[in-house]
Amino acid sequence: MDVINGVTLKNMLLVAARNLDQQKDIVNALNVFPVPDGDTGTNMSLTLNAAVKELERAENNEVGRLTTLLARGSLMGARGNSGVILSQFFRGFSDGLAHVKGEATGEDIAHAFDSASKTTYRAVMKPVEGTMLTVARVAAEAAEEAAEEGADASAVIKAALLGAQKSLADTPNILPVLKEAGVVDAGGQGLVCIFEGFWAGLTTSPEEMEEILAEQGTPEKEAVDFSRLGEEVLVNKYCTEFIILGEGIDPERIRAELESKGDSMIVVGDEHVTKVHIHTDHPGQVLQFCGDLGNLTEIAIDNMMLQNQEFAHHSDNHRLDYAIDNVVGFPGVAEHSAAPKGVGIVAVVAGAGLADIFRSLGVDSVVTGGQTMNPSTEDLVTAVNSVHAESVIILPNNKNVIFSAQQVKELVDKKVGVVPTRSAPQGISALMYFVEDDSLEENVAAMESGMGEVKTGEVTYAVRSTVAGDLQIEERDIIGLAEGKIAVVGSSPDDVARDLLRTMVDDESTVISVYYGADQMAEEAEDLSATLQEEYSHCEVEVYPGGQPLYYYIVSVE
Amino acid sequence: MGKIHVVTDSGSDLSLEVKERLGIHVVPLTVQFGSEIFKDGEEMSTSEFYTRLKNEIEMPSTCQPSPADFVAMYEKIAQPGDTIISVHMSSKMSGTYQSAVLASTMLDSSVTVKVVDSKAASMGLGLVAVTAAQGVQAGKELDEILSDVQHTIDHLQVYFVVDTLEFLKKNGRIGMASALVGTMLSIKPILTLVDGEVAPFEKIRGKAKALKRVRELVVEFQEKFPEKKIRAAMSHATTSEEATQIAEALSRILPLEGEVLIGEIGPTIGVHTGPGVIALFLFAM
Repeated sequence: MDVINGVTLKNMLLVAARNLDQQKDIVNALNVFPVPDGDTGTNMSLTLNAAVKELERAENNEVGRLTTLLARGSLMGARGNSGVILSQFFRGFSDGLAHVKGEATGEDIAHAFDSASKTTYRAVMKPVEGTMLTVARVAAEAAEEAAEEGADASAVIKAALLGAQKSLADTPNILPVLKEAGVVDAGGQGLVCIFEGFWAGLTTSPEEMEEILAEQGTPEKEAVDFSRLGEEVLVNKYCTEFIILGEGIDPERIRAELESKGDSMIVVGDEHVTKVHIHTDHPGQVLQFCGDLGNLTEIAIDNMMLQNQEFAHHSDNHRLDYAIDNVVGFPGVAEHSAAPKGVGIVAVVAGAGLADIFRSLGVDSVVTGGQTMNPSTEDLVTAVNSVHAESVIILPNNKNVIFSAQQVKELVDKKVGVVPTRSAPQGISALMYFVEDDSLEENVAAMESGMGEVKTGEVTYAVRSTVAGDLQIEERDIIGLAEGKIAVVGSSPDDVARDLLRTMVDDESTVISVYYGADQMAEEAEDLSATLQEEYSHCEVEVYPGGQPLYYYIVSVE
Repeated sequence: MGKIHVVTDSGSDLSLEVKERLGIHVVPLTVQFGSEIFKDGEEMSTSEFYTRLKNEIEMPSTCQPSPADFVAMYEKIAQPGDTIISVHMSSKMSGTYQSAVLASTMLDSSVTVKVVDSKAASMGLGLVAVTAAQGVQAGKELDEILSDVQHTIDHLQVYFVVDTLEFLKKNGRIGMASALVGTMLSIKPILTLVDGEVAPFEKIRGKAKALKRVRELVVEFQEKFPEKKIRAAMSHATTSEEATQIAEALSRILPLEGEVLIGEIGPTIGVHTGPGVIALFLFAM
């Protein structure tokens, strides 16, 4: 193919989104730390899907129009650090094609990849080589080289793909942590999936794609081998979403029940309000099961196979997350008749117990997420807009959300400050320094210094075997992380919590807090805290239900 | 020219020794447990009070002295031509000041009563009363004493740490600190008084950390007034060992004017603050 027109470009992006969605679990598994919240693949896939949904709104297939929508959609849908970087990639890609009228030549495509690469580098404060940045750059260089030699559009894309694959294989040689963990870079792998999709979308016409999609079959989840793409068939065609309102809803139980009914499942919320998202072939069964748990609302079912369908309401559905807080009616959120507050607070929190604690400390809007599911930039934008205040502080409470939180500044009319908290305890510590009458700047400064007064520990399980320093870790081992680094390994959450705290508590410590997870019993946590109180008589030991998924315990020492 | 007398109320938490040495007269408030009524310090001791507070389910309450109680005190101590300086708890926290003002209008004109709103409580009020009494003992003129008293009121800095906000809240004395109520975490707030009302100063997790922070605040206070002598007082509803320790630490940090006055928080204040309170009062001379 000498040149690429809008229809082909759109097709490339659609196929790329499919490919990434199919392979996201493989990307997720590439997390350097074997903790169960490695969701780079999910984040990148959701980001690209948001962008693709935006494309489907296009009233025509002009390249310029499509790329504008692509940039906007990925920006609003960006989740997690890798999602934000990917959105910057598409923004650069879009800028690079802005001048194209009608059809893009090989040179245009190479220019777009170059622009994409440069924009991603600019997006991060301290670019690290051996990551998706490197993959984007090497791909762009390969494309450039091909274009200079007179390659046509499809040859340029192929060169980019080969460059990306080569660069990905090289990432462990550049970044020692990857080599130690025995993985390639996850973001880089995600980007390679996208380049693979570009290539496939180029050589597979929309009609052929239709045929493939019309056939039903089982996808090969384990397949990293790109050659299989042509054989893949989409299952679970109905994107099904709704909110359950009720009492004593157990998101964990819903997850367990629905797991076998489809994929791309997201169940977030608490005992009163839970949002369910799943791709399934049996939306009726899903609705029936959940309908027995409470009242269903905001139900949306889309057939993902009908590509030209108008997905208007679908694109808006992230807003529902934020409707959740309004539905529950937390004070200060729904009552907009009063004068606006000076400074409001949005916090990203996983777990109903922790969410309650954050609200009780004055947080106006809690965005559910963090460990299992990073909220998108749009989620945060909606939450910030829902707070009735002139300026808003965001507490990301997760290192993978800080970047998306910072993106919000440019997307809302309010003044936004981000206190870069990396854990829930840091967020709580920061909130101790919040003074409602002070300015945004004063509060951000005080909270930033305050968040450092606490040490955070986490107890979870290893999702795969690895070596961390001197520690040999097997899959399913219980691991304890101090300040984000693996410090202890063992077989029982309680023992690991005790061992972990021994590395964290010193003579100066005064308070130990234990937040137990959704799967822990209160009695176990109380027993643990009793033994801790015995061991650390100079400290106050406090135990709270955190309700967080995947993490047996989150502990803090101050 | 008559004598000058100093009167305060039982919300001042002054020790018996200080009261007797400086000749300060105290009008007691009454404390009510259910239907039982006691005069603070006269019919119920501080230790009895905290024992009952721990054991009783029902929250006790306090009642301000009646104007007649003040009239009785004023008439007992003053001769015609004398002046009384009557200093009381913040009018925003208690009706005691109002009662004293009413009483002052009920006396015959041969005795002058200057009723002063200390905008403080506990040893903060105590320090104001001590300032007045020391002025009297030093033979100062009334105007000079009143100006010293006003200076103390205007410059007094108060920090206090409560074990729980429950007592302040239930008795409606929580003022601007109400935003701290309802937090699910155990927070030991450092509170202060702003214009005679309880206000939040900082939120701290853990009492040990809160007390550490109070010590830092003392150092910061001194740095604000490097040239000045500082007068300090503290009151507490905790062990006297802990109080003595803190007082000793204070005198090491600060260039102090006189000793650190230590008062035990009596029933009048204790009803509103509960057990475990430590309060610090500072002002630069």
